[in-house]
Amino acid sequence: MTVAVEFDHVSRHFGAVRAVDDVSIAIEEGGFFAMLGPSGSGKTTCLRLISGFERPTAGHVRIFGENSENVPPNRRPVNTVFQDYALFPHLSVRDNVAYGLMVKGTDRRRRQAAAEDMLALVKLDGYGARKPAELSGGQRQRVALARALVNKPRVLLLDEPLGALDLKLREAMQEELKSLQRALGITFIFVTHDQGEALSMADRVAVFSQGAIVQVGSPQDIYERPHTRFVADFVGSANVLSPELAARAGGPRHWSSLRPEAIALAKPEAARLTGTVTGTRYLGAVNRVTVAVGGDMLTIALPAVQTVPADGAEIGLTWPDGALHTMEAE
Amino acid sequence: MTARFLLSTAVTVLVAAQPVLAQMMTEVGPGEGQVDIVAWPGYIERGDTMAEFDWVTKFEEATGCKVNVKSANTSDEMVALMNEGGFDLVTASGDASLRLIAGQRVQEVNVDLIPSWSAVDDRLKDAPWHTVDGKHYGTPYMWGPNVLMYNTDAFGDSPPTSWNVVFEEMTLPDGQPNSGRVQAYDGPIHIADAANYLMYHQPDLGITSPYELNADQYAAALDLLRTQRTLVNRYWHDAFIQMDDFKNEGVVASGSWPFQVNILQSEDQPIASVIPIEGATGWADTTMMHVDSAHPNCAYMWMEHSLASNLQSDLSVWFGANPAVLAACTDGRGMQTAEGCTKNGLDDFEKIKFWTTPVSSCESQGECVPYYRWVSDYIGVIGGR
Amino acid sequence: MTGGQHLTARISDAFWRHPRLLLAVLLTPPLIWLGVIYIGSLLALLVQSFFSIDEFSGLINYQFTLKTYAELLRPSNFDIILRTTLMAASVTIVAAVIAFPIAYYAARYAKGRMKAFFYLGVMLPLWSSYLVKVYAWKLILAKEGILNWAVDGVGASAALNAVLALPVIGGSSLSVSYIGTFLVFLYVWLPFMILPMQAALERVPVNLLEASGDLGGRPSQTLRHVILPLALPGIIAGSIFTFSLTLGDYIIPQIVGSSRRFIGQAVYAHQGTAGNIPLAAAFAVVPIVIMAIYLWVAKRKGAFDAL
Repeated sequence: MTVAVEFDHVSRHFGAVRAVDDVSIAIEEGGFFAMLGPSGSGKTTCLRLISGFERPTAGHVRIFGENSENVPPNRRPVNTVFQDYALFPHLSVRDNVAYGLMVKGTDRRRRQAAAEDMLALVKLDGYGARKPAELSGGQRQRVALARALVNKPRVLLLDEPLGALDLKLREAMQEELKSLQRALGITFIFVTHDQGEALSMADRVAVFSQGAIVQVGSPQDIYERPHTRFVADFVGSANVLSPELAARAGGPRHWSSLRPEAIALAKPEAARLTGTVTGTRYLGAVNRVTVAVGGDMLTIALPAVQTVPADGAEIGLTWPDGALHTMEAE
Repeated sequence: MTARFLLSTAVTVLVAAQPVLAQMMTEVGPGEGQVDIVAWPGYIERGDTMAEFDWVTKFEEATGCKVNVKSANTSDEMVALMNEGGFDLVTASGDASLRLIAGQRVQEVNVDLIPSWSAVDDRLKDAPWHTVDGKHYGTPYMWGPNVLMYNTDAFGDSPPTSWNVVFEEMTLPDGQPNSGRVQAYDGPIHIADAANYLMYHQPDLGITSPYELNADQYAAALDLLRTQRTLVNRYWHDAFIQMDDFKNEGVVASGSWPFQVNILQSEDQPIASVIPIEGATGWADTTMMHVDSAHPNCAYMWMEHSLASNLQSDLSVWFGANPAVLAACTDGRGMQTAEGCTKNGLDDFEKIKFWTTPVSSCESQGECVPYYRWVSDYIGVIGGR
Repeated sequence: MTGGQHLTARISDAFWRHPRLLLAVLLTPPLIWLGVIYIGSLLALLVQSFFSIDEFSGLINYQFTLKTYAELLRPSNFDIILRTTLMAASVTIVAAVIAFPIAYYAARYAKGRMKAFFYLGVMLPLWSSYLVKVYAWKLILAKEGILNWAVDGVGASAALNAVLALPVIGGSSLSVSYIGTFLVFLYVWLPFMILPMQAALERVPVNLLEASGDLGGRPSQTLRHVILPLALPGIIAGSIFTFSLTLGDYIIPQIVGSSRRFIGQAVYAHQGTAGNIPLAAAFAVVPIVIMAIYLWVAKRKGAFDAL
């Protein structure tokens, strides 16, 4: 497999702030790669290092094997879908999409035709004459996508592309992006702070914290086998068990994680742990129940069809073998 | 610019619509506490510029009339301000005074109420720029000639005797051409200077007054001015700019006022002046009283004060002009001396043709070119047409 | 409740119940000012320009006529209009060219102290009296002034003399030539170009510039296709200032230049003692018409589309 983008000990410092700190990673061609992390964790800076809007303080960013330090953004084989789309307000939708071809000198007829084809691909046929201000958020998102794709980039960068959309639209777009990526076969690199989005769309996920990558892996890896307490907590709000509690629960004396939905109620005698219910939150499909186990708090997710024990009730907890995951680091 | 012009236009129209009939004053009562005067810059000094030139403070103490001065830089501005109203007096030049009289903006002055009237230079008492049908519309204030100012370095031993140095192309005594080194006044009234020159050099044109020109005489004057345009780089309208041009722009000859000559000489510049053989135009200013003066008693008191020989004497030194009261040159009550007055041109009165507004119905030849034509044509001449 | 109510409370209640009332109270005085004083004088001006002056008596003939406007076409008057318009246009174009990099730097790169320095640098000349600046320029440009001295010092007088030898725009020194008038206009009105331009450039989102680069646009293409169209309203606003201020100015050409008249001076000369109010009014209408045409063309060309 060809490596599309490679970070080789890349750092980007802004004064004393280490936005990206010694990151090394290889992103393979043709995949759907997510950079996941809270805001300020360095994921967007990494994306801007690829597009060329930032230059590394140290290390190298290679795009298809080529050192990119001295290549300006306009000569990189990548295109970006910006967070708030960055559509040109003075140009029509068609001219927005055709922009990349226009600056390359494609003649007017050909670029307009290409733009119309691309608008059809994102299901916006007939919107070419409008101005961006006349479109809805979701439509603008598609225009931004079409504008980037019309250049046939080898790598498409997406910076929080769905952040501004409402829930339903977001879910529909997730599907569309995914199938678009499969259809086009090009590399998508995608920045998000929404772990659900990252897990559902990407083949591989890199989790960022404080300028560094803390874990790279498939969504299953990240979700089920977090390396650190941070990953466990940030990706899916897993229960983090202290070494002492892990030992009491029957595992090794080591920091461990346990997914709320893996936990079931059990008779006290069959329970791996017992505790007292301190509160319940109704979330529609599930009830999220907080249980005090000694001095620690655990969260369990019970299907809404199941009866919820009352506050103060003593309950037993159990889970399938292997659900208690021992983490590699703290 | 436009807004101010609009306003004054609008006001002019409004004011002119009112019929005005003012009675001449018959006695001067107690002062009203203030008097508002429109004046040329430097005409009414209260010691702010230089402490020794102050002819206001004592007047205020003696009469209780506070003097408020509004400076105006051109005759047009003076007329506009008087049209707006709210003033008691104006120091109007001859190109504004008749217009103010005709427009009924000023009232007849009762000279019997002004004791110093008797001291006024007899040559000015009945001057036509403030006397109409035997009625006096003000008291003379100052007058001066438009002299030919020149650089003594450029002219050396042969000082100019004729205005030809500014009207005709020639080589000056220093061996350099006069082109680009002479100036002329930046106002249409300068047409009168050209007419004055022709009056002497082309008597067959039949010019009797440089302010009353028939079509032919007028055309000849414009032709002369078109020649002058080729010699003049910039026309002057501001005394201080002209002084600067003599110092920094290489200008060596121009029509000017004694005011500039005196200041440049005081700075030890190589400057002198002459009233050439053709004679000269000149200006004579009159203190005139607004028809709706709100403070007539103070106004009369000021007119009386303005003719005091010590005021006239100091002002004549300050402004480089000639007093309306001859005693000011000789009685020693102010700073002026007989020599100073001679230098300012006191004895050249007869050679001076005083500024007055050209009108179409003129005394000397019935039909003359009116001032508004002078304005548009002079603009054309300066523009190279 | 009603008995103890204060007047102020009642007034504010009334405003709350009738929001339009408050609007009316707030807007009426400025509208009267605008409507009566400004529009009124403008109309008075327009009306005056349709009168004429009687050739023989010099009195105003209060009859509708287009004769006064025809006067404007006389060569000496048309020269003035042409001269003023050309001057205003060149001042505007050069001001825009000079102002753009300054405004761009200030909008994009200047931060903190540099930004404060920029504002100070641009605004400071506006704080000193206009007349002082113009007189100072007269001294700078004079034949024996500091500029000539400096040009002499670096041995470039030959170049300056060559420029001054140009027909029409040259003269015996900068101070008495159109170039001098132009330089002073440019200096005095430049802040009025920089400030709106800078405000407009500051409003162009950075990510649009990045988007252009990302899509393959070279910096020059980004400038032409993104920055300029989006900053155009600011450039137009600046050009309205510099153009109309130059059209209406009557002080600068009086102090620096060859004494050839500009429109403002012509207006000034024809009113007053000359009493030719109709011609003065017709002259005063010219800049209004020119500006109207300018704005109309700008609008037609889509200058305000990005607003």
